[in-house]
Amino acid sequence: MNQNQIKKLVDKIVENIFFATAILSASFIVIIVLVILERGITPFITDNDGLGQVNLLRFLTGVVYLDGPTFLSNAYGIGYLIISTLYNAFLALILAAPVSVLTALFIAKIAPKWMGELLRTIIEILAAIPSVVYGLFGSGVILDLVYDLSLIAGVQSAGGLSVLSTVIVLAIMIVPTMTVISEVAIRSVDKSLIQGSLALGASQTQTHFKVVLAAAKSGIFTAAILGVGRALGEATAVALVAGSRRSGITFNLFDTTATLTSTMLLGMKETVGLDYTIRFSIGLVLMVVILLTNLSLNFLKRKVGRVNA
Amino acid sequence: MNMHLSKGSLLAGFAVILAACGGATSSTPGSSVASSTEASSTVASSTVVSSVTPSSEEPAFTTSNNIILYTRDTTSGTRDGFMGGIGFSAAAKDDNLLTDGFVIADNTAILNAMSGNDKYGIGYVSLSSVNANVKALDFNGIEASEDTVLDDTYGLKRPFNWMLRNPGDFPSETVENIVDAFVAFLGTIEGGETITGAGAVALDSTTRWDDIASQYQVCSSDNSAVTVRFGGSDSIEKVAKAVTASFRPRCGNFVAEHEHTGSGDAYKRTVGAQKDEAVGKDVGFASRPFTAAEKEVDGTALPVEQYGQLAWDAIVPIVHLDNPLSNVNGDLLKRMYEKASTNAIRTWAEALAAEAAI
Repeated sequence: MNQNQIKKLVDKIVENIFFATAILSASFIVIIVLVILERGITPFITDNDGLGQVNLLRFLTGVVYLDGPTFLSNAYGIGYLIISTLYNAFLALILAAPVSVLTALFIAKIAPKWMGELLRTIIEILAAIPSVVYGLFGSGVILDLVYDLSLIAGVQSAGGLSVLSTVIVLAIMIVPTMTVISEVAIRSVDKSLIQGSLALGASQTQTHFKVVLAAAKSGIFTAAILGVGRALGEATAVALVAGSRRSGITFNLFDTTATLTSTMLLGMKETVGLDYTIRFSIGLVLMVVILLTNLSLNFLKRKVGRVNA
Repeated sequence: MNMHLSKGSLLAGFAVILAACGGATSSTPGSSVASSTEASSTVASSTVVSSVTPSSEEPAFTTSNNIILYTRDTTSGTRDGFMGGIGFSAAAKDDNLLTDGFVIADNTAILNAMSGNDKYGIGYVSLSSVNANVKALDFNGIEASEDTVLDDTYGLKRPFNWMLRNPGDFPSETVENIVDAFVAFLGTIEGGETITGAGAVALDSTTRWDDIASQYQVCSSDNSAVTVRFGGSDSIEKVAKAVTASFRPRCGNFVAEHEHTGSGDAYKRTVGAQKDEAVGKDVGFASRPFTAAEKEVDGTALPVEQYGQLAWDAIVPIVHLDNPLSNVNGDLLKRMYEKASTNAIRTWAEALAAEAAI
């Protein structure tokens, strides 16, 4: 074997190793989806050890999590959870979006270079903090704040466990992600657009808002999509501040709430049978909710995200 | 143009928040806070019960406020014990029977709420987790402590019991000997410390395992090939696992196999109908007293050595330190927690009146 053949052989082997790892990581997704799917549909197609099939329509539209005793009833309903999950995530987005976008604008265009670097590092660190830490911060600090706020508002809140606490914690969690991505989008806006705007006599501020942000819309939308995705999927932090609501749709900011994920988490380590498998069904619904939300946001992004639209 | 649009939508978004803030009067099923608007509007005129001078913005304790109920989730053994102890067993596994607006939280979250931001909450925790930052309520006038639990005066508790297979009915003599040693270990100081460490109240003991170990020959040999099957109550699972983990190294490292499915299986799977099936157990635990029917097989009473108690599980109702309530009974707590109560207690003023009537 000459030098050249050896090189080719090594290349071939390395290629195959890469291919194998690619297959491995891709198959994880497939395996996870299949397992969740297989377990998640079990409650609807089997009689659940004598409890009877779960009614799919009731499951998707119900406003009472479980009608009847745990382990003895199959009347699960998560309609109210789907709504509160979306409600919490979008309120968090509304709170986080202006903060993120303006921070990103400041870092990318306004701040001196050293300050921009420093801020970016801080925000990247924030993005890497595990959600349970945000949850602890939420239950230690945000709950107190929200409780005091509820007193001022003249409402009796359950120790601050509420929609508002959940939304604030989620907003704090998604600001770093959204800022980092928005900043990249803002930085990559074509310099000639900015120079053109300034040359036409627009002020810096006018240029920032009317040219830079408009041109970075698509990237900012991507940031929002990722932010909402994180907010929809967050379980630990939410479970610590939401109050685990078991029934009823509420839009009241000081009322307790629950999300699909926090409900999956609640009592998971202690439960068996249908009460356990139903969590896979909730997981399935969550995946569908996230998928549909992403698709519709992507659709919106295509509609309004074009620079010249 | 587009910026105008998005600014407008942001404003609309904030308007939604504000509208929701003000929308406290919306009444949704299962909503706690909505129904409290009425109570909070009377804050100014209500009685303030405290020796502390109330600050102008936050009165020390407003008795007209609603009670916020905290509970563990339906899979919790503590909830089972609490609901059973107040005569409301039906609610142990059913959230729909509880008064609207309750909060489901774990042990830590209940303690945090009562020691911090929920002045108007009430919850329950196991005795081992009570601390000085919360106010533990007396039950029927008796303060919860290890002493009052052990002398059986504190009422909100349940026994942790064990039951064994019939003599000679074990998979092998070695297993039977290990089980005998295990029961002896439960009654020792070391066993008691383990039980207490796992959150229950161990029975009084004066014997040390090291002093009696020599009576159990089986523990001096290598038992790593022997499996002993433990089962029964899932509420006792944590305690049982802690005890076997502490006892295994003291008894030849036998293998402890735990499958905890419920108190009913303590009898059923050791001496009852399922004892010879694959789910059969060598030791079964029950987190309640054994019924009369469980103390006999086919009309023959079980020998008293075959079952016994290892610990108490005491549950303590807790409130905020500022709360003037100090004594409750099962009926009072049930009237708080029960949605369909005919004599419901929903505000702290009602609770204090009920306390005075005890």
